[in-house]
Amino acid sequence: MTRAPSRPPPAGRWPLIRALLLAFLAVWLLLTLFPIYWQFITAFKSTGETNLTVPTFWPREWHPENFAAIFFERSNLNALIDSFLIATGNTLASLFLGSLAGYAFARFPRQAGGENLAFWILSNRMFPPVAVLIPLFLLFDSLPWGTDSRLSLIILYLIFNMPLATWLMMVFFRDAPRELEEAAYLDGYTPARAFIKVTLPLVLPGMISVAMLCWIFAWNEYLFANLFVGTEVRTFTIVIPTFSHGSQTLWNLQMAFSLIAMLPPVVMFIALRRYMVRGLSLGVVKG
Amino acid sequence: MTAKTTTQTEPQWFVNRKPGRSIIVARWVPVALVSAPVLILFAIVIYPTIWMFYHALQDTNMVRLFQGSWSYVGFANFAGVLGAERFWNSVVNLLVYLSFGACLQVLLGAALALILYETVKSNALRTTLLILMVLPMMLPPSIVGVVWRFLLTPSNGAINQALLNLGLIDSHIEWFNAGVSLWSVIIADVWNWTALPLLIVYSGRVSLPPAVYEAAQVDGADGWTTLRRITLPMLKEIIAIAFIIRFMDALKFVDLVFVMTSGGPAQSSELPAYIAFQRGIRSFEIGEAAAYAIIIFIFSAVLITLFLKYIKKVLNAQGFA
Repeated sequence: MTRAPSRPPPAGRWPLIRALLLAFLAVWLLLTLFPIYWQFITAFKSTGETNLTVPTFWPREWHPENFAAIFFERSNLNALIDSFLIATGNTLASLFLGSLAGYAFARFPRQAGGENLAFWILSNRMFPPVAVLIPLFLLFDSLPWGTDSRLSLIILYLIFNMPLATWLMMVFFRDAPRELEEAAYLDGYTPARAFIKVTLPLVLPGMISVAMLCWIFAWNEYLFANLFVGTEVRTFTIVIPTFSHGSQTLWNLQMAFSLIAMLPPVVMFIALRRYMVRGLSLGVVKG
Repeated sequence: MTAKTTTQTEPQWFVNRKPGRSIIVARWVPVALVSAPVLILFAIVIYPTIWMFYHALQDTNMVRLFQGSWSYVGFANFAGVLGAERFWNSVVNLLVYLSFGACLQVLLGAALALILYETVKSNALRTTLLILMVLPMMLPPSIVGVVWRFLLTPSNGAINQALLNLGLIDSHIEWFNAGVSLWSVIIADVWNWTALPLLIVYSGRVSLPPAVYEAAQVDGADGWTTLRRITLPMLKEIIAIAFIIRFMDALKFVDLVFVMTSGGPAQSSELPAYIAFQRGIRSFEIGEAAAYAIIIFIFSAVLITLFLKYIKKVLNAQGFA
């Protein structure tokens, strides 16, 4: 409809090919959505129905109380709370440190260490965590708060979220015109005050998107959580897989729990769509 | 920074700054701002890496570590790893995973991204479809693992039943038997991560200049020629980046293996990163695990260097860096 007139219709000359391509797209979309659909309907089934030899593709009767059962269990609720606190704490720390460093890289590139240092910080995000798990475990074990604490994960997740925040904030600070800041200096603002009063409001929308991205990555993290916590602190990412290890596999409850747990990242992701195409390709490098 | 000669309100430090210097804060300020993340990364990345390099050359295990009685063994750990069938088994698995997981994801993702961009006309619909197709990437990996373990349950799983209903198979596929379980992990991973190359290529395609396409249209190029002569050459670096990212991820790929198969049955679906994890964390054979980690580290370092090279190019072209 609002298609740019400049866009050529590459397959337009051959409607058949166009139809085939669209069919391919549709099939992939179906394959993408089917697991989520299955998760959804299973979450509403009764335990008996999930154990049928021939699974039903539509629930015979709906059991929304499965979701309530998740919240009645204290340990499930605690897992969600732990995940929330860890993700939020880590996001705040990543954003704070990343914004300051990103600002320095954007405004004073040479004095801040230059492009190479910025790229080195980014490269930490791609680092294979298995290469450092054991020494990190021993290191945190010797610290007063130990490994099995929220603080340990909040610090560890800086490995992948802080470089991301630094880079994306650097891009956003570059886009904010420095002339405004300089005008503020002329009005007698100190650099710190000009930063807070002038530049920060400009980058705030970008900052919120970075925060959501960091939050999603921290909320989803599995490997570090699996190794470092488990007794005092349990994130939902390690609780959900072990849900089925009991004598009876309660698939419906497990699916209900996972639906609840994946709701926040999905909602945030949809909120992020404005930033999805431009710039986010840098951010989606997996942590 | 042109002549700003307004007088009375300029603070003294602003008047006194040296001309031609881009910096108007004290020299230590940017250094201080950057040093906090750098110091943290030194503590939680660099120090542990050095530690691992050191212990890769020692015969450290749990007992020796706590007694402080490890000793230098040269490259014995590496020799042990390279001589072990378990390692080469995981390398074969990694190659299978790279070709049918990572490569397939990039090719599929690139194809889907271009099809989506070229064939869906409505902007709103295109964005909606993009969000739906990218969604799996944003789900927690442990949930993806659990959902796929459930979908692939041999006796009454949805996938087997769907395949039976469609008449594609006659009997249930045993998705978690030796020889098959790796493929189950790959299927789940393709579902999970095709979204990443899709998003990368799509955003690359969006940023291509429309003028080039107008010119091609004026010259009467058809869709196929446009794709082959314009789109693909211009997206070369972007697609390379997608490959490199997926290959880097393959080297650290643990979570789905962990949740879905635990490397089993009989170690048949193990990847190198998973063994490094197992040997180090479960068996506490630190020397051996370190050797695994260093091997993974070296390949990662090569890929990261390549990645940085390409991303610099792309960022420069897009005006980021």
